[in-house]
Amino acid sequence: MSEMKDMILEVVERMLKENVDKDLVDIVEQGNWLSEVWNLFENNGITIVAISEENGGAGGDLEDLLNIVRLTGKYAAPIPFTETTLANYLLEYTNLQVVSEPATYMLSANQAYTLEDGKLTGEAIHIHWARHTKRLVTLANSAEGIHLVEVDLSQAEITPGTNLASEPRDTVKFQNATVSQISNALSFDEIRTMTILETAFQLALMTGAIDKINDLTVQYTKEREQFGRPIHRFQLVQQHIVNLAGETAVALAAFNNFVDALLTNKHSSEVAYARIRFEETIQAVATISHQVHAAIGTTHEHSLHQYTRRLWSWRDEGKNTAYWTDIVATQLLENSSDSLWAYLTGTKLALKL
Amino acid sequence: MFQLPTVQFTEEQEQFRLEVRDFLQEGMAKGKFVPKCDSWLSGDDPEFSKLIGQKGWIGMTWPKKYGGQERSTIDRYILTEEFLAIGAPVAAHWFADRQTGPLLLRYGTEEQREFFLPQIVKGECYFGIGLSEPNSGSDLASVTTRAEKVDGGWIVNGQKIWTSNAHLCHYMVTLVRTSPFDGKNKHAGLSQLIVDLHADGITVVPIKFLTGEHHYNEVFFDNVFVPDNMVVGQIGNGWAQGLAELAFERSGPERILSTFPLIDELIQELKRKKNAEGLKQASKIVSRLWSLRNLSIGVAQLLESGDGDDVSIPAALVKALGTKFEQSIPEITRLLVQTYPTLDAQRKIDRFMAESILHAPGFTIRGGTSEVLYGVVAKGVVTQ
Repeated sequence: MSEMKDMILEVVERMLKENVDKDLVDIVEQGNWLSEVWNLFENNGITIVAISEENGGAGGDLEDLLNIVRLTGKYAAPIPFTETTLANYLLEYTNLQVVSEPATYMLSANQAYTLEDGKLTGEAIHIHWARHTKRLVTLANSAEGIHLVEVDLSQAEITPGTNLASEPRDTVKFQNATVSQISNALSFDEIRTMTILETAFQLALMTGAIDKINDLTVQYTKEREQFGRPIHRFQLVQQHIVNLAGETAVALAAFNNFVDALLTNKHSSEVAYARIRFEETIQAVATISHQVHAAIGTTHEHSLHQYTRRLWSWRDEGKNTAYWTDIVATQLLENSSDSLWAYLTGTKLALKL
Repeated sequence: MFQLPTVQFTEEQEQFRLEVRDFLQEGMAKGKFVPKCDSWLSGDDPEFSKLIGQKGWIGMTWPKKYGGQERSTIDRYILTEEFLAIGAPVAAHWFADRQTGPLLLRYGTEEQREFFLPQIVKGECYFGIGLSEPNSGSDLASVTTRAEKVDGGWIVNGQKIWTSNAHLCHYMVTLVRTSPFDGKNKHAGLSQLIVDLHADGITVVPIKFLTGEHHYNEVFFDNVFVPDNMVVGQIGNGWAQGLAELAFERSGPERILSTFPLIDELIQELKRKKNAEGLKQASKIVSRLWSLRNLSIGVAQLLESGDGDDVSIPAALVKALGTKFEQSIPEITRLLVQTYPTLDAQRKIDRFMAESILHAPGFTIRGGTSEVLYGVVAKGVVTQ
């Protein structure tokens, strides 16, 4: 953990609290770009956290960055922060140069893009924020294998689209576009690591949104009165409160624990466990929070949907439960001599007595 | 929402885990015990408890002068996990180790500590917990078993119920009313007494569990004399003293792992059959277990750092969530593999299924019903 962590997080949370509200998110959801919020992050050096200092970064580590991402999820910050910082993290990971402009990424290995003589061709869908970003960091197939490439989006034909939360998810088409940087052909493990990183960023966002939904819901049960008392006094509502608190506590602890595991590289399964568990959490959190908020929570005027719609969108982006349960199942099969307990506790040390 | 600390086990702790595991696997291979689901309630084996005592694994966090090892709460957490994961018979010494020792260290007299703790540590002295009464379950403050002051001690009359393993225990920490019920302050006037279960006037009557097994009991008190030196802490302070134990009682691995032997056997069965689809479903169980374990270890770490005030709400939450999880395991298992549950089955998964199905209803009742816990957590969350 970086010593800067608490300080950075405090600054970022204050920035978000003061500058991002429901109305602003509404404006961006209508397809606008608000450079003020982006500039605020950029001018404060938040967009270059966890980039090494020799590459012009601001210091801080991956844990700091993931916690900032968590906060952007908590405020539904309508900027491509996750996208830009993950794109740069991937560029550094593959020994390429980081970029200074807003960027996005595409890691689905569906062979959307092909690379020939340094030229990129193909079409990919659901690219986050493409129309508002300048650079795309994407996987691409060549005769040699799969590479990470960085390409200037001004060469792309972009067709706007959105996810359930009205976040930009665009179709991006290239025809013999010149790529700025190409990595070596990537190994299976390197691609897996990138997928784990992508998932880690998504989990951070989800954690923030879950935390916010819990806050909104508890607050609502204190303010809303029926039958002459606040609704948190009713046992059936209390049951919702506790189930929601349980899911939120599970999400926060899962987030903190998988980040720990990621940083110590101790046991890569934690990301899988967290991602699998989060789909259950999201289902519960969305259902409970809407039920407690009742009719008002189903209106556009209320802010609840800005978080529930995001969770409903994010759970189907990147690699979902089906992918991760497959990985855990395969690992279990490969560790056929171990008990589940040995696998789960991950102690591979030789016994020294 | 509260933030729980994360714990990275040290290399020494990982070594300790393997040492315990090795010991248990060897013991199991030599037939020293037969693994069971819910072994912390139903696996009573005094011989095994003495063996554990010789290893220094009872009261391992307690001061050395009472026979303890002064190890950390996390070390004890690891030890407990290993016992439960394999299904070792730890019921006999369970409550003395988990509750009575910490209670006496916190509130007991020096005389009580010196007398009881070394015996507990050896695995030779077992305690029951005397809380519930026939008309006093979740509403514990309404207990009516009473103690009246006499020269040199107290005379106890009344009845306790659902006392796990009272028929095997030597003593019972008993919550009694030492002054009349006051509707305005119903938690006042309660005290904790150590009652010798072999004293005159005590009758222990078995209540058969729904399987026919004998785990819990009714304990009757007919003019039982309890000397003054067997009062724990202060007269009238029994409620507060009892509450202090609850975080330890509620958040441990036994609220998650009661059916772990079944989960493990399910995975083995699916692996033997190379059932990839079944393993994918089962990986959701593994993910849930991992998530709950994060919370439970986080609370253990809070207890270790002594930040007691913040612990009661997360501890109650861990119990509510964890017991729901362990209760769900047989129902998920039977959808993934064909089983035929019987308690005397040859096939391990059939036996673990039977134990899990039949014990499951108790998980969300014992040690505070889920309904009571939900009330505690909801109030805590709302006032946060």
